[in-house]
Amino acid sequence: MPITINEFIDDPKCNRRSFLKACTITAAALGLSDAMIPRLVEAAANPQRPPVVWLHFQECTGCTESLVRGSHPDIARLILDIISLDYHETLMAAAGHQAEKQLHETMEKYQGKYLCVVEGGIPTKDNGIYCKIAGRTAMDILAEVSSKSAAVIAIGNCATYGGIQAADPNPTGAVGVWDLVHDVPVINVAGCPPNPISFLGTVLHYLTFKRLPPTDQLGRPLFAYGRKIHDQCERRAHFDEGRFAERFGDTGHLAGYCLYKVGCKGPETYANCPAVRFNDVGVWPVGVGHGCIGCTEPGFWDTMTPFYERLPNVPIPGGGGIVASAESTGKKILAVAGAAVGIHAAVGIGKRIVKGKSEK
Amino acid sequence: MNYEKKYVWSILFRLCHWAFALAIVVLVVTGFYINDPWTNTWLENSRTFPVADMRYYHFLAGFVFTAAVLVRLILYLIGNRQERIFNALPVTPGNVRNFFSTFAYYGYATDSHEERLGHNTLAGLTYLFTYAVAAAQLVSGFYMLYPESVTWQSWGLPLFGTQQQARFIHHLLMWYFLIFAFVHLYLLVWNDVRSPEGMISSIFNGYKFKPKHDGSAKA
Repeated sequence: MPITINEFIDDPKCNRRSFLKACTITAAALGLSDAMIPRLVEAAANPQRPPVVWLHFQECTGCTESLVRGSHPDIARLILDIISLDYHETLMAAAGHQAEKQLHETMEKYQGKYLCVVEGGIPTKDNGIYCKIAGRTAMDILAEVSSKSAAVIAIGNCATYGGIQAADPNPTGAVGVWDLVHDVPVINVAGCPPNPISFLGTVLHYLTFKRLPPTDQLGRPLFAYGRKIHDQCERRAHFDEGRFAERFGDTGHLAGYCLYKVGCKGPETYANCPAVRFNDVGVWPVGVGHGCIGCTEPGFWDTMTPFYERLPNVPIPGGGGIVASAESTGKKILAVAGAAVGIHAAVGIGKRIVKGKSEK
Repeated sequence: MNYEKKYVWSILFRLCHWAFALAIVVLVVTGFYINDPWTNTWLENSRTFPVADMRYYHFLAGFVFTAAVLVRLILYLIGNRQERIFNALPVTPGNVRNFFSTFAYYGYATDSHEERLGHNTLAGLTYLFTYAVAAAQLVSGFYMLYPESVTWQSWGLPLFGTQQQARFIHHLLMWYFLIFAFVHLYLLVWNDVRSPEGMISSIFNGYKFKPKHDGSAKA
């Protein structure tokens, strides 16, 4: 049974004050005015709020890890308790038949009302046999659970766009949820992992307004993925002024200069990382000296690699890459030119010695 | 042989040509810089904004480039006879013949060639293809210039993919213009050497010189 809001706020780890604080943080992330905070609180505290079924497919559980290990206990508790998590394989006490029973009870009791959260990619090759739970394929489970839900929230790059298992050559034919589910609304909370605030914001938006937040063309909520990292980055001034880290550990890197030339993909990536940051201690990759790898973008394992170069250095068949080839051929050209100059000079000097200076 | 002076290229066409050429030079130079900003500095509290400046000139040149492409598209429809699209496409028997005879002429298989006021069909098709590449270049460019615009996203995403893929394609297509410029200049000089019609000066003053009373010349 999901705990009631009174039990929740009586818990010494999460009192009313911290509960309101978490709602306020989320309202800020959603870009809502403070006048909306009471409505958010009301929606989150409503005992009639819809339960959540959390499905795990091809994934590393990193998205769940990043949610439950938020150093800010309010956020983690708000996510795990307020949203009435009825089924979550990593966190639930039930196992085996008990867990299956819980899943089917929730699906029947709250048909058309519960939220379905999906973590992980779905393999489709060979009828989806590469991911099975309780003897059923991920495709089967997703089709059944999503069709009876009110909406699907895909969390992480795997559930949204297929993630690492969808990277070339994609041996299991993995795809994201929105490639398979078309009968209910799907929203993509992308990232590897996404910021817990972006996920919580999406859920609270749904609880408060009874609909999913507006999205961009790739199905990502605009409040979190509406702007590019490069345009909100704290190192942006260094970019405009031409101050770059040339390699990790150099003077520019130590001085906190722009990471563009060590491969930062901030200019191509939509996310709120520079504004919302992670782990409630104000850190994010670029802030601690590592370029963005573009983890909120579709197919980022294929398109954003190599992570430490601006653009892929496409190898030429039979050659060792353009730079290496040009360098090796260039050295030979220079050597031939040097030899030609040497021979020319030697012949000139030889002629002068043989014929004498007078004929000049 | 007597020659007569013929007006071939309108003033708008010539302006469009030079705007396009200048824009490409600026775009390539600034584009290489943006890809690899080589003027790295440890200097702080300076009033220099090299990357911002280069991006600014890149965007300005991008708008000039766009304007030139749009003007050329309009001239394809309403320009003078040499500038119209049907003059360049192999859609008439004469143009189809010209297309193959130009290959023979450029391949040193024959010394005779048709006197044409405008482009030969091979050149006309190449220019049309170049404008198609230019269109791809400016759509991917605007997609990156206005990353938050739903309109440009709805063009950019299906055509090029994510911002990173668009950036890569934008970079690759840039090389087409470098190769095009090289071939363009080579063939101009080659033609100028082979037939004294004043092809190079025609893009400055608009006039070509054609043999008088030549039946094959299209007036």
